[in-house]
Amino acid sequence: MPISDAPPTPSQRRPPLLEFNDVNTYYGELHVLKGVNYRVGDGEIVCLLGGNASGKSTTMKTILGIVKPKTGIVSYAGDAINDMPTAERVKRGIAPVPEARRLFPRMTVLENLEMGAFTRSDTGEISSDMERVCALFPRIKERLKQSAGTLSGGEQQMVAMGRALMARPKLLCMDEPSMGLSPAFVEQVFDIIQAINRQGTSIFIVEQNANMALSIADYGYVLQTGEVVLHGSAQSLRDNEMVQQAYLGEMKTQ
Amino acid sequence: MGSWDVLLQQVINGVSLGAMYSLLALGFTMVYGIIELINFAHFNVFMVGSFIALWMMQALGFVGQSTVLYGLPLIGVLLLVLVGTMLCTGVLGAAIERFGLRALRGVSGTAPMITTIGISYILFNIILLGAGADSKNYANPMPQIHWDIGQAVLRLREILLWGVSILLMFGLNHFVRRTKMGKAMQATAQDQEAARMMGVDVDRVVLLTFFLGSALAGAAGFIFGLYYNYTSFIIGYTAGLRAFTAAVLGGIGSLPGAMLGGVLIGLVESLGGQYLAVRWTDVIIFSILILVLVFRPTGLLGRAAPTKS
Amino acid sequence: MPEPQLRPSETTPPPAMGRGASFLPPIWHRVRGAAGQRAFFLVLLAVGVFFPLIDRNEGDIDAVTNALAFAILALGLNIVVGFAGLLDLGYAAFFAIGAYSYGIFASFQVQPEWWGFWEPFQWLGLVQHVQEAGGPGTVHMTVSFWLMLPLSALICAFFGALFGVPTLRLKGDYLAIVTLGFGEIVPILARNTPYLTNGAMGLNGVASPSFFGYVFGVQSTPFFYLGLALIALLVFVSTRLKDSRIGRAWLAIREDEIAAEAMGVNRIKLKLLAFAIGAGFAGTTGTFYVAKLQTASPEMFMFPVSVMLIVMIVLGGIGSVAGVVLGALILQLLQSWFLQDLTQWIHAFGNLTGIGFFQRLDLVQSIELIFGIILVLMMRFRRQGLIPERAAVTALTHAQQTAVPTRGGAASGLAPLHRRAIDPNKPLLAIRGLAKAFGGIQAVRGVDLDVMPGTIVGIIGPNGSGKTTFFNLITGLIAPDGGKVLLAGEDVTGLAPHLIVERGIARTFQNLRLFANMSLLENVLVGTHSRTSTGALGAVLRTPGVRREEAAARARVIDVLGIFGNRLMPRIEHLARTLSYANRRRLEIARALVSEPVLLLLDEPTAGMNPTETLELTDQIRHLRERGVTVLMIEHKLAVVNEIADKVIVLDYGEKIAEGTAKEVHSNREVLRAYLGRSTDAVAAAAAAS
Repeated sequence: MPISDAPPTPSQRRPPLLEFNDVNTYYGELHVLKGVNYRVGDGEIVCLLGGNASGKSTTMKTILGIVKPKTGIVSYAGDAINDMPTAERVKRGIAPVPEARRLFPRMTVLENLEMGAFTRSDTGEISSDMERVCALFPRIKERLKQSAGTLSGGEQQMVAMGRALMARPKLLCMDEPSMGLSPAFVEQVFDIIQAINRQGTSIFIVEQNANMALSIADYGYVLQTGEVVLHGSAQSLRDNEMVQQAYLGEMKTQ
Repeated sequence: MGSWDVLLQQVINGVSLGAMYSLLALGFTMVYGIIELINFAHFNVFMVGSFIALWMMQALGFVGQSTVLYGLPLIGVLLLVLVGTMLCTGVLGAAIERFGLRALRGVSGTAPMITTIGISYILFNIILLGAGADSKNYANPMPQIHWDIGQAVLRLREILLWGVSILLMFGLNHFVRRTKMGKAMQATAQDQEAARMMGVDVDRVVLLTFFLGSALAGAAGFIFGLYYNYTSFIIGYTAGLRAFTAAVLGGIGSLPGAMLGGVLIGLVESLGGQYLAVRWTDVIIFSILILVLVFRPTGLLGRAAPTKS
Repeated sequence: MPEPQLRPSETTPPPAMGRGASFLPPIWHRVRGAAGQRAFFLVLLAVGVFFPLIDRNEGDIDAVTNALAFAILALGLNIVVGFAGLLDLGYAAFFAIGAYSYGIFASFQVQPEWWGFWEPFQWLGLVQHVQEAGGPGTVHMTVSFWLMLPLSALICAFFGALFGVPTLRLKGDYLAIVTLGFGEIVPILARNTPYLTNGAMGLNGVASPSFFGYVFGVQSTPFFYLGLALIALLVFVSTRLKDSRIGRAWLAIREDEIAAEAMGVNRIKLKLLAFAIGAGFAGTTGTFYVAKLQTASPEMFMFPVSVMLIVMIVLGGIGSVAGVVLGALILQLLQSWFLQDLTQWIHAFGNLTGIGFFQRLDLVQSIELIFGIILVLMMRFRRQGLIPERAAVTALTHAQQTAVPTRGGAASGLAPLHRRAIDPNKPLLAIRGLAKAFGGIQAVRGVDLDVMPGTIVGIIGPNGSGKTTFFNLITGLIAPDGGKVLLAGEDVTGLAPHLIVERGIARTFQNLRLFANMSLLENVLVGTHSRTSTGALGAVLRTPGVRREEAAARARVIDVLGIFGNRLMPRIEHLARTLSYANRRRLEIARALVSEPVLLLLDEPTAGMNPTETLELTDQIRHLRERGVTVLMIEHKLAVVNEIADKVIVLDYGEKIAEGTAKEVHSNREVLRAYLGRSTDAVAAAAAAS
């Protein structure tokens, strides 16, 4: 399969934060992930591109431990985590921003953020993280006591990201952060993702909106019917014809 | 008795019954809110609770109403038996979840509910076979103090019942709304998968819910015995119907709904029994249940509708 | 978007035996199937016929006769719970109604005063005039048992449908509770209306049936043979129903009722039919039982009886005709025969060992405990029961299986689509101002669309732009807040999904809604539901007309599957859940096509397919256009849309923001912005420069 010819970046030479080695996952009898390999370097932004039913949600669930692979190894920070329960993974620094946000609708914004820190017990640090999150998302601060279900889509996305940050993650996993958001909000969200990354958090984004994802990612994978059909640096994927055709629209033949 | 006094008396009775049904409905609705399961066994846990409390009282030496206590000793004894019963039924409920239902957790359809029917039958028959079909006289050390309001009578046991129920409900409310574990329960009820993604141990949360709900059922069972001065193997069925209707009426999955529904059904029972006829109470309550499910499935305060998506 | 998931019905998992993997099911498999069941019943029947001659004990015959009665009840409940998937916890109510129907009208219970009104009834032999000195006399009800057997079935069928009405929109658990409610109310009513029922004391003096002058009386043997005849008849009816258009429709409802309705199954009618037929079985049994006991009292029909019936079908196998009969016989005979003996042995053991518990244990009394244990253990360890249900569809003949699929074959024998001639110059589908809001969110805002006949129209747009909601509005899954949908000029706005299918619009689902535990053949046959008309009666009688219709349906299925070459045909008997993802997509399309739609709605048909499969399907969709099918399709893959769409519309935030040919839409700035996101200006500039 085509691989970028560029020399390995510094983060690629370090041991990866997250790695999938030949992972096969099944839903009942359906073979959903077929021998996939991913690598998220420390401090990188890596994106996974794919259409509906390509296996991207399964990838996310496998990282979080909601779904277990049949064969293959998922490793995080050097340890194989195939059988590690979700709670443990969160404690070790993997935090999700789920598809369609999935806030707890009848709890307040504040309570939602608190749930993000559920696995932590260092109350002092939790409070200072709360302040940091509020500083990053001023709109959240205004709405702390509001029921999360009454917020707009963009605001919910902010809260969902804040909630994930409350776990002080090393690896932030985002599932289609741009879905259902207006273009203006999408720009904001991706700006914030970059800001978070600059502070040291690695980010794994699953997206259909290839343009946005590739514009901030370091590296990318293209998933199709459960197989990784293409991977490389974000730049090389942007230049790749197949990606352009499938995701960026037929820009060339006008 | 003048007609206003009759009404007042029945309102007092109704609220007392209602308090009991509320406690029972609360535990039931909590479980439904978390895993969307109609737990038939809940109402026989209540019945078992009343027997456990009876046996505890007997073990402490109280038989019938021969011994009467006052003040601190009274409170001490009642508290001891209450807590003891709640612990026992809580453990029973947790055991039912752990060994009977957990394996069926992901299964859709009605298999889990059928299992609870089976468990309900088992509990019911164990007591029937073990303790017999006759009604047991309840040990009751409470003094016969009462207050007169016009010609209506407000007895000590009513005050006690209301007091305990309100205390328990407040306790539950505080736990669910203010503690970390309670919030984990709320989160799990609202979006189980998202809660898991936050690191919540969903299995533990479900187990805790069953424990708490069954403990409340046990408390309700003890209260039943004290209030009516008897218990029998059949009370799970009769009270269960009412508590179930209360939960649905109030809004299945909603805690305030269970409390409201309980009081309403208690009033329906007492007023209906007074002004219509006792033998029609069951039919009335079933009719309320059916009407609510058909015309307003979310109940009065509820959100989760029992209709197909 | 959430991963595609099938929705297996888990209360009745698929047969423990796997479906044959080869093209021709192996011989032993056939034996286990229909032929095996037939053998089981023939053996049972033979044993039954000779049984009273071998065992002359009156008590034994009586016990077996009761067992037969409960087996019939179990069969009836199996139709509701097993075939249609509706958990009925109050089935004993119908047993009661059937019993009291005969009991009241064939006993001395109700004795109104005689007057002229009763003359015609006397003439018909339904009542007798009891003369009394010095008065008009009273009426003695003497309705014939033989008349009442079918009549009580009809009466109960009516009540079955009546009690079913409130449950129609409820989820499984709540449906069960409502039925439980009715199951409770009926005996309470019986207890509290002593005029009709003699209350708790029960009816007495119920007339015994007589057969050409021979009165049954208190002997069990005539009832035994009658019971045997009844059960044979009702097993026959059950089996015929199961392997029929009606049985398939029930199974589809059980698997996924939304999908079933979207394939043309009238959910409401079929659910009520299941309730009615199930209740009918109980009605007949009630009459039979009360004639045998010559009394009826409310205690005979309470909740424990309903639960016992549930235990019987759970033990035997929900949905399996042989299974529930077996389960019923086992449990009944357990109670009447074995438990007493077993109890005595246990007492002896207790006496031997001096253990008090065993000395006192009475298993007969503990029967309900045993029921509870059976329920828990079966649900935990063997949900499919002793004899798992297997799909009843008659296997294809060898000739049918190897039939070379044809293209464009005429579907003779299937009812043609009732459609007016389609004017090629007017839009086939005209949508005006379609709108829908969920809570505060406007999912679809005032969308207009014209789809000309014989064209393929593509709908594209980012995730969450309302495309699938749009489809759901057109096909009646959701009711629109406003707007109109016109099909060939006819207003079909807001019609129920099965009516939409009848009018000629069929669809597939983005997240796939196949009937996971049904075979490919059955899945696609369900698609023919709206083009066939065999009802319950036809299913049982299997007249030549019915057989022709079934054969035509199967021919049509083969024809449609042929469109996909040999991808699906070899797997036609396999369960849908064993298919690969791409094949599932194809199956959904086949299932939609088989109803001969004029308009086919495809929701992301190529999602999850690799480029080769995508090209193949694109080609096949193009051929559909040549067959005269108009296609409206949601697609994410822009290449597909560019290939075959005559027109493309773009939805964003529920609004149509562009419309035109694929090329036009692509260069539309709004579209680029919405769809492609950031740096669109840069991208467009780059495109303009190249």
